[in-house]
Amino acid sequence: MGQFQLSSPTLVLVVEDDPILMMAMVEFVENAGCEPVEAYTVREAIEILETRTDIRTVFTDLDMRGSTAGMQMAVTIRDRWPPIELVMISSQPWDASQIPARGVVLGKPFDRRRIVAAIRKFAV
Amino acid sequence: MPPAPLPALISDPTRLAALASYAILDTPAEPGFDGIVQLACRLCDVPVALVSLVAGERQWFKARVGFPSCETDLNSSVCAYALERPDDLLIIPDLTADPRTSANPLVTGEPFIRFYAGAPLVTPEGHVLGSLCVIDKKPRPEGLTAAQQADLRVLAHQVVSQLELRRAIVQRDAVRADEARTYRARDALRDAQAAMATAGGDVPAVLGALIAGAMQAIPAAEGGVVELLVGDTLIYHAPTGTLAPHAGLRLGLTDSLAGYAATTRAAHFLTDALTSPHVKPELSARLGLRAAVVAPILRGGRVLGVLKLQSAKVAAFDAVDRDIVELFANAATACLTAAEAQAETQAQDVYWRGLFDRLHEGFIVGEAVRNTDGQITDWRYLTVNPAWGELVGIDTKGIVGQTIREVFPGIEDEWITDFAAVVDTGQPCTFTRQVGTLHRWYEGRAFPLEGDRFGVIFLEVTQRVEADTRRAALLQLGDRLRDLATIGEMTAAASEIVGRTLHATRAGFGLIVGDVEFVDIEPDWTAPGQGSVAGRHRYDDFGNIRAPLQRGEPLVVNDVATDPRTQAEAGIWQGFAINAFVHMPVREKERTVAVFIVHDVNARVWTVDELAFLRNVADRVEVGVARVRTEELQVVLNHELAHRLKNTLAIVQSIASSTLRDVAERGPVEAFERRVLALSRAHDVLMQKSWTAAKMRSVMESVLNIQGGLDRFALDGPDLDLSPQAALSLSLLLHELATNALKYGALSARGGKVRIAWRTEEGTAPTLVLDWTESGGPPVNAPNGRGGFGSKLIRMGLLGTRQAALNYDPVGLKAEFRAPLADVQVSVH
Repeated sequence: MGQFQLSSPTLVLVVEDDPILMMAMVEFVENAGCEPVEAYTVREAIEILETRTDIRTVFTDLDMRGSTAGMQMAVTIRDRWPPIELVMISSQPWDASQIPARGVVLGKPFDRRRIVAAIRKFAV
Repeated sequence: MPPAPLPALISDPTRLAALASYAILDTPAEPGFDGIVQLACRLCDVPVALVSLVAGERQWFKARVGFPSCETDLNSSVCAYALERPDDLLIIPDLTADPRTSANPLVTGEPFIRFYAGAPLVTPEGHVLGSLCVIDKKPRPEGLTAAQQADLRVLAHQVVSQLELRRAIVQRDAVRADEARTYRARDALRDAQAAMATAGGDVPAVLGALIAGAMQAIPAAEGGVVELLVGDTLIYHAPTGTLAPHAGLRLGLTDSLAGYAATTRAAHFLTDALTSPHVKPELSARLGLRAAVVAPILRGGRVLGVLKLQSAKVAAFDAVDRDIVELFANAATACLTAAEAQAETQAQDVYWRGLFDRLHEGFIVGEAVRNTDGQITDWRYLTVNPAWGELVGIDTKGIVGQTIREVFPGIEDEWITDFAAVVDTGQPCTFTRQVGTLHRWYEGRAFPLEGDRFGVIFLEVTQRVEADTRRAALLQLGDRLRDLATIGEMTAAASEIVGRTLHATRAGFGLIVGDVEFVDIEPDWTAPGQGSVAGRHRYDDFGNIRAPLQRGEPLVVNDVATDPRTQAEAGIWQGFAINAFVHMPVREKERTVAVFIVHDVNARVWTVDELAFLRNVADRVEVGVARVRTEELQVVLNHELAHRLKNTLAIVQSIASSTLRDVAERGPVEAFERRVLALSRAHDVLMQKSWTAAKMRSVMESVLNIQGGLDRFALDGPDLDLSPQAALSLSLLLHELATNALKYGALSARGGKVRIAWRTEEGTAPTLVLDWTESGGPPVNAPNGRGGFGSKLIRMGLLGTRQAALNYDPVGLKAEFRAPLADVQVSVH
């Protein structure tokens, strides 16, 4: 497992419009042994996904400007790139039925252990 | 020549009485007497023969031959002299020569009689009534032969025999007539007594029967009356016959024969009013009274009145009539006394009856109806007063005799069983109960009477009960509105309460669209069998009814068919089973935004109280809706705040993590992150109740969940509502304890467990006691030194009370925390 990680770290697209939160999220991805790719807007995230094929996981905040933008993006990703795994964080209660298949939603403030565990799980 | 003096015997009363007893004077001719005088003429060979009866002032001929007139005065009488000679014939051969007769007008003038021979008519008692005489117009000096004299005697004897026979017949007839009169009187009396008894307390009927009977007994009576004595005045009652027009006539005691009878307390008969000192002439003329018979009606020594019969004929009545009238008067005494008593009783009855009739309270006398087992299953109305009719709204006619189950089909059984208990136990009872079919409430008291009877006196209390019901409904509505969370639930609850309270057939809540153009009626309450009218309706489709609502006033229609605003569209209303309705506006910012709607399938008058009730309901719903809207807004704000708080905490974590990026030891950084997380979990639980309270168990589970699995914790204690401060404090405390347990304590071992138990201790200051007991972990050592943040926090205890007893038992940590329950729990306002 370690060998695999060293030779080819899993790419995780981190989507977050708040730079401070982005710092923590990037740290979580790194703690999970993955390589973060940062996107500060939904549009930017979609563009990256459209241009790159090596993204295995998207780690996104659902609380971005335009209240439903995060969740809409998650749904879009599940539609357009079904294999990509989704790890989401939210400060609001979420409706389990809206969550795309295989998606994981974790609350704020951060529970570092769970977030790292979730990213690591999908990175395997 | 002066006439000779007549014999004194003529005017002898006993002789006159004897003569009268034959009742012969002035009677028609009879063959028996006529034959005798004819025989006397032939035997004595004379032209004139007479049966002459000498009365007190005249002589009268019962039979005559050859003489023109039927009577003469005594001056012309020769027979008068015969009276003195009862044993001998009086023979005067030449009347001109006899001093007794020479001046007799019949001798000196027409018919110039000259010879007279008379045989006295002597009764068996020896009274001489007159004579059988023969007369010639020429003197007969030879007189009569002895044979002629003997014949004349015999014939005179025959005359007396005839008279005797005749008198016997008359007397027999008189006896018979008297008997008939007595029978008639007796029959009439019996009939009258029966009639008077039947008349009971009806005094006019008693008097009518009395007079009718008396007049039947005395056919000579043409008019009759009872004059009742009041003070010194006699008042005409029940006048009959010729007296009929004189009802109510009032007379003094000195005016009439009746007054005389009342004064003397004796019966009298009056032969001729014109000669009576007791009758005023003008009165007898006015009444057409000539003869009368009167008898006082006496009770003890008191004169009640006078019974009078009268006739326009002189001497219509005699002593027998007087006695008969007296009998009737006596019979009347008893009946009048009874009638008076009965009338008094009736007057009392009328008095009580009148009292009951004037009562505002309803009054019933009822009688139990029992089945064959003797159980009371119903009861019958024996009496009801007019108030009963008003209070129950039923005509009292025909009620008496019916049972309550007949009068009110389907009436509540308690109306029978309660009164049955009164009859069976003899104990009165009070009641406040509805007659459901009437929608009316009654309050009253039932009490036992004799036997199976009972009385009920009651009042209608529908208004009071309904006012109570409305008050209770408003209270109930207040409770419901406080508990319900959505506007839909609130309006539905209010609709049902309104519908049931006002006995309406439909009630609902509608939102107004535009300037009272449309109403969107929400799901409404309906009585059984009624359809819903939920949905949008256009006001103008239902008549000219928008104006009051636009002004913010209630739209009240008692009858859609007669109200000018809805008359034209009555059919549409009735299509919805509506004949009466109210739309009570709910206002917001000077506009009608909603209406409370009540329908009734029947026309009805909406009372001021009912409208006030509706107004009250609408106001409360308005306030309730405003509260719900505020709460809904609050929830949104709370969620937004929670979201921002959690996002901010995440940013704090992020800053801390980034700031401490270069710190080699990651433990404290992570500990910090997790403390923030624990704090946040307490907020989560609190937010569910808008930060006003949190369930103790939820708080515990939420924070312990962070620490790897609830299955390692055993929670045991009552679920309490925690104050926000207590929730935060408990969260942080448990977080530190659990963190330590995971690091050093029981949870660091695979089979280690923690038991968290809590209880409340009553006392002057009730206390929450929380026990943390670890077991199954490695041996425990007390930590050295003061420790860090976590240790401090644990020692601070719950809510900073510092009541934390830590026992580092080698088996496992035992900790006890205490805090005043009042601070831990949410204070109930």
